[in-house]
Amino acid sequence: MLEVTTDWYLTLAAILFSIGFFGMMIRKNALIMFMCIELMLNAVNLTFIAASKHFGQIDGQIAVFFVLVVAAAEVVVGLAIIVSIFRKQSSASVDVLNVSRG
Amino acid sequence: MDFLFVLPIFLPLLTAIFLFLNRKIFNELVTNFFTLNSALLSFAISFFAFVTFALAKFKPISLTLYQWTRTPDITIGFTLDGLSGVMLLLVTGLSFVIQLFSTSYMEKDEKHSNYFVYFNFFVFSMLLLVMSSNFLVMFFGWELVGLSSYLLISFWSQKPAAAKAGNKAFVINRIGDFGFLIGLMIILNTFNTFDFHTVMQSSTNISENTITTISLFLLLGAFGKSAQFPLFSWLPDAMEGPTPASALIHAATMVTAGVFMLVRISPMLQHSATASIVIISFGLLTALIAAFSAMNQYDIKKVLAYSTISQLGFMFIAIGAGAYVAAIFHLVTHAFFKALLFLGAGAVIHSMHHEQDMRKMGGLRKRMPITAGMMGIGTLAISGIPPLAGFWSKDEILASVFAKAGMANELVFSIMYYLFWALTLGAALLTAFYMGRHWLLIFEKDNGIDHSEVQEAPKAMIRPLILLGIFSIFIGFINTPFFHGLEKVLHETLENVEVTHLPEGIALVILAVFSIGAGFTGLIIAFLIFGFQLHKRINLGKFKLESPINLVKDLSSNVLYLNKFGNVFFVSGMKNFSRKVAVIVDGLIIDGSVNFISSAFAKTSKITSATQTGLVRNYVVYFGLFLILLISLFIFTPLVAQ
Amino acid sequence: MFELLIFFLPASILIIGALIVVFAKNPVHNAMGLVMTLVSLAIIYITLNATFVAMVQMLVYAGAVMTLFLFVIMMIGVDKKEQTSDSIKGQTFLVSGVFLILMCLLGYVAVNSEFSWNLWFPAVEYVVEGTPQLIAGTLFTTWIFPFEIISILLIVATAAAIALAYDSKIRNKDA
Repeated sequence: MLEVTTDWYLTLAAILFSIGFFGMMIRKNALIMFMCIELMLNAVNLTFIAASKHFGQIDGQIAVFFVLVVAAAEVVVGLAIIVSIFRKQSSASVDVLNVSRG
Repeated sequence: MDFLFVLPIFLPLLTAIFLFLNRKIFNELVTNFFTLNSALLSFAISFFAFVTFALAKFKPISLTLYQWTRTPDITIGFTLDGLSGVMLLLVTGLSFVIQLFSTSYMEKDEKHSNYFVYFNFFVFSMLLLVMSSNFLVMFFGWELVGLSSYLLISFWSQKPAAAKAGNKAFVINRIGDFGFLIGLMIILNTFNTFDFHTVMQSSTNISENTITTISLFLLLGAFGKSAQFPLFSWLPDAMEGPTPASALIHAATMVTAGVFMLVRISPMLQHSATASIVIISFGLLTALIAAFSAMNQYDIKKVLAYSTISQLGFMFIAIGAGAYVAAIFHLVTHAFFKALLFLGAGAVIHSMHHEQDMRKMGGLRKRMPITAGMMGIGTLAISGIPPLAGFWSKDEILASVFAKAGMANELVFSIMYYLFWALTLGAALLTAFYMGRHWLLIFEKDNGIDHSEVQEAPKAMIRPLILLGIFSIFIGFINTPFFHGLEKVLHETLENVEVTHLPEGIALVILAVFSIGAGFTGLIIAFLIFGFQLHKRINLGKFKLESPINLVKDLSSNVLYLNKFGNVFFVSGMKNFSRKVAVIVDGLIIDGSVNFISSAFAKTSKITSATQTGLVRNYVVYFGLFLILLISLFIFTPLVAQ
Repeated sequence: MFELLIFFLPASILIIGALIVVFAKNPVHNAMGLVMTLVSLAIIYITLNATFVAMVQMLVYAGAVMTLFLFVIMMIGVDKKEQTSDSIKGQTFLVSGVFLILMCLLGYVAVNSEFSWNLWFPAVEYVVEGTPQLIAGTLFTTWIFPFEIISILLIVATAAAIALAYDSKIRNKDA
């Protein structure tokens, strides 16, 4: 208990991931749902770095790079979509977007 | 040159195809030309082949056209031995004579060419049946003969009665064919081959139970085809077809296919005592029922139809008594005089402008002397008056039954066969009676109707009648007790068969006296009633015979109400049953289950489509659920060590 | 002792920031919570010897991405007070159900393994410094192919963003 081992970091990442996940389920505002996605991605990044330290290989940090870039690109495109959708309607809620209902 | 005998089989087929393709182009003259020449050619070739065969001391020849598999042995082949040679001559000869008659009878009919197409097709199928060397080809011929019969019975299809009669014939035939087919299956299973020769030779190694089973099933087929009880009601209805067709099919050839088949399998049949007793009992029953029903019929052709059924019963009696030569002999003689009688009836119908009720005829002897004379010869022949043909064959049958009684092992069998002999004698008496009545009602009895416009039949009808009349007189001499011609011919075919031999010497003469006596008695009674009008001259009220005679007349006309019974029991019963099946099985069960499945699908899809809400947050929840599933999978499977 | 402190402090700030992101009402507060999370995450990376990555995270994530977020928040969603009560039937039920089950699972796992993780592979003894030289050495040799694809992805994303958010009315007004 007195030593900070790898599994502590993994637990932390898990907690961060679940908080982000529940945030996605609860919130209605599209922007805030995006931020919760960012939380989850960051949790994954933390896992990668912890694993990189655990195995003594640098590839974990390379993976973090890629995740970072992809997250940035995703934010760009996603925000563009949200902007163009919400130009049509004034509210930022996602609940009205149920056109694909089957 | 040896295989010349196969040609007459396929020549009628080619003629039928040729006439069918050109049926709209040819007029009557051309059709007549082709068909008559083809029939004459077939007969000439058959005669030549038979003479060659006879000169080779009746050694059987076989020809295999095509072998499909080796074990089980399924081939297509033909054979010429004594039995098939006799049938070949009979079929081709009669086909020529009757076609000659038909050219005049079917004159100016709008379906003239169709008739000859069907006729030639029938001849082809019949030859296929008799010339076959294995059960399979015989079955082909068997089925095709049924088909041709249907086509010819319902020939004038605009008459609803004709169409119904055709259907009835085919359906009843089918019942018989069902038995035949099962018999074939058992044969293939037991012997692994269809070939007659092999089957007959190996039949000694098979248990008697199997032989009895096979024989009974094949017998069912023979009953259907040869119109024995209980499958006989189609034959009187088949008289709706043209008379020459009836003459060939329902007198001489198709209905004898059952008899032919049973003689073919006689090496196997002789080992089964049960089958022989069944055959003889049913044959006798049929003979008596049919003879009884013929006594009071008023249609000119129906009397002949019932007579045919009765005579076929005689042939079955002969087979059951083990007298196979006698059966074939009677087949041959019967073919001639029955064809003669039918063609004569056709001539009368034609001259009376298609009137068939005998009560409207009478006294036609003066107007149609030649026809009357020939039909008289036919009547005498069928009654068994010597030295005409029918006497020799019928007497041989009766003598064989008597001899079998003498040969029987136990007393009860002996008594049974003596009883059979007596009943057969009674049937012969009835035969003479109703045939005499038939002739007298047409030609002798004066009903006071004016027949001045009735003329003698045209030459093309008279000539076949005369030809057949001559044959009816002389054909009997091929197998008398003094000259066993037919027996020699059939010797090779019936090589291993125990044929019942006739008694010798004085016993034979006494038996002959009995059968002649029966024939004469029947004719005399008929003459007394219908010629001499005895019942009008004596007051029968004294003997209180009115009601029994009326009862007999009623039962006879309605065929002992057998047809009505069959109709109510089988036909209506079947219809009700099938209606119930249609409603319950088809409607409720099958439709119900299919509809149920489809509605279950629809409901399920409606329920499951409720998850497709289109809302993002719900889909996130689904992610969560699956995440839980994944995590628990990792926890609870042994792959992950904790 | 020092190690524990250097772990727990950023960790708690991380958790608090995440909770602010989830539960705040004002979108700007959400964004601030996210920034808190990102910064503390960078600190944790430094303790894990991934120094270069931590710097990159500060620059890119907390710098560029959050700025973008704040732009869009200002443009769209800041005026409205959003109500957190959801209007989807059964959502509360489902969410709480999933939450409960997940907690139970995790609790079960924790109790079963007596609060200690049995990682299959033991940790290595040496320490890998996350220096730019090391990262560049691997990135441009072993991982060159994904690197190129990532660059294409960035270009595509930029083009997509322009295509999506392009408003021709604004453009025509200028011209």
